Amino acid sequence: MLGLKAISAQNGWEYALLGVSIVFTGLVLLALVLSQLHKLLRLWENRSSIGQLVKERWKSESAVTDQETTKSEPSSDLIESRRQYQMLVERIGEPFALPRLLRLAEKSGLHRPHATINELIQADIILPDDNGYYTWKP
Amino acid sequence: MAVNPKTLYDIPLFGDMDADALGKISSLMNYMKVQEGEVLTQKGQGAHTFYVVLSGNFLISFNEDRAFTLHEKGQIMGWSSVVTPFRYTGTAVALTRGEVLCLSAEAFRELLTGDARISDLLMKKIYAIFSERMPYFSGTKRAADS
Amino acid sequence: MESLLLDFLSNTGYMMADYRNVIMMIIGSVFIYLGIAKHYEPLLLVPIGFGILMGNVPVFKGLGLSIYEDNSVLHYLYMGVKSGVYPPLIFMGIGALTDFSTMLARPVLMLLGAAAQMGVFITFLGALALGFPLNEAASIGIIGGADGPTAIFLTAKLAPHLIGPIAVAAYSYMALVPVIQPPIMKLLTTRKERLIRMEDLREVSKQEKMIFPIVGFLLCCMLAPAALPLLGMLFAGNLLKEATVTERLAEAARRPILDSVTILLGITVGASTQADVFLTPRSVGIFVLGACSFGVATATGVLFAKFMNLFLRHKINPLIGAAGVSAVPDSARVVQIVGQAEDPTNFLLMHAMAPNISGVIGSAIAAGVLWSFMM
Repeated sequence: MLGLKAISAQNGWEYALLGVSIVFTGLVLLALVLSQLHKLLRLWENRSSIGQLVKERWKSESAVTDQETTKSEPSSDLIESRRQYQMLVERIGEPFALPRLLRLAEKSGLHRPHATINELIQADIILPDDNGYYTWKP
Repeated sequence: MAVNPKTLYDIPLFGDMDADALGKISSLMNYMKVQEGEVLTQKGQGAHTFYVVLSGNFLISFNEDRAFTLHEKGQIMGWSSVVTPFRYTGTAVALTRGEVLCLSAEAFRELLTGDARISDLLMKKIYAIFSERMPYFSGTKRAADS
Repeated sequence: MESLLLDFLSNTGYMMADYRNVIMMIIGSVFIYLGIAKHYEPLLLVPIGFGILMGNVPVFKGLGLSIYEDNSVLHYLYMGVKSGVYPPLIFMGIGALTDFSTMLARPVLMLLGAAAQMGVFITFLGALALGFPLNEAASIGIIGGADGPTAIFLTAKLAPHLIGPIAVAAYSYMALVPVIQPPIMKLLTTRKERLIRMEDLREVSKQEKMIFPIVGFLLCCMLAPAALPLLGMLFAGNLLKEATVTERLAEAARRPILDSVTILLGITVGASTQADVFLTPRSVGIFVLGACSFGVATATGVLFAKFMNLFLRHKINPLIGAAGVSAVPDSARVVQIVGQAEDPTNFLLMHAMAPNISGVIGSAIAAGVLWSFMM
């Protein structure tokens, strides 16, 4: 026997309907209880005279670690770097891709290109154009 | 070396967290010193580590050589470790010596699946950063520049 | 000497194998490939795949080598499957791993987990319509719960001869959730619906998280006592996790115990999947019904979410209904990916975890109910 007759012959519809109802009932009941649980707990807590522990002592210390964001180790003289990198920028054109400038600087054998590019950015000589590319401040 | 939870407190990414959560996160992190020119993430490779800048300057480059730089404490790299398909979308290189906090992707993802509150707080911020940076790796022009 | 050699050769697997063993070994190899190379549920597919290889090496009967021979090592390990011991242990590990706070923060989302379980009963009807007897139809239907341990547990009780194909079907489709669900989700939702942002979740206190497993266990198991082995262990594991004083036990539950049982279950279920049981028209029927059950469960979850939106003030993104399919956390991740494709800043993952987790509870209740019907 196949098809709908097979289902009816074995009370399949009843089992399925009852099964779905029980699963739904179980989860609905659980959801109802859980939706009220936090309110019940709050009621209980308000009866208590013990206060909450404050976690603020983490905030009282000013945790300032030494930042080396702007002070890099001495690199090439900035004026000389500016001149060298300006020539590279003129070669690749503006707006230019910073990784490309870096690769070119490495290929050209310039001293410490990463740190130098960082100095030029920090000195606002290399400026972002907000499209992921950069321009040279004249 | 284990990370002191206090290190995380003035990092905006973890700013909303209580001491308990900071303790959980910091226990999974390590300090890592980076040298000038060191590559932390490579575009296209499996994203195995999440980084938070403590000091130093970094360049992150994407498709078509679009890039931006990070100079401040608390900025992040390697967010692809918690965003599918878990492959780095950019290459991060250190422009100067510095220090970062690193968190293994597996441990981070396990923490996020296991703690809904931490996940909710962190992922909102990570996704906000993700959407800010999306024009760089998707190549879409920003509306203001079109 | 010659006859000894011939005897030896005739008893090798090479001589005893037929094309069905080869087919099964190819299937096992595919599972291993999917697990390792494609990262589809590797923790499940790799042990199952290797188990299939082990179970389909032809062996001489009577030497206690086959999983179906009483005195074999594999048989003893398989007892944990047949007796229904492994699935509750896995559930304990899952309970110790899972944070239920997203579900506690917005309990109404649990109804999506309930809705997705309709897939179980619709598939049950489908199996009856195809001529399967009641006990087998119930075991096939539970595949729609997308919960491997639950499927194995119920099948071990109702139709142990089908453990192999049902387990393989359940775990295969769980691994394929990222393939099966997205088209159904996109078909049943509009772009506007997919862009709905969920209301922020409230903070759930530690006390709530500790009381929940006790309340949940009592409510669910008093209603459906047959779900006791699975839900009891699920909530026990969760209590161990939330009562931080038992962190050591929770750690044991979610790491060594869960991982060990997963290995043994995977290998023995795979080894039980032998060609004469697996390569039959019945198994094809099971696979087809299994795929349908996943699809139906996804659809009912999504549609129920849309139905709920007719009454809710703060609308829910209907995509999260698909996470009622209790493949934790994969279906929640699928929801995140599909939602993110429309709006990269729409973070749905944690909201989807609520129906995902309630789906686990729902499928365990469904299994208990079906078992009690068939007793």
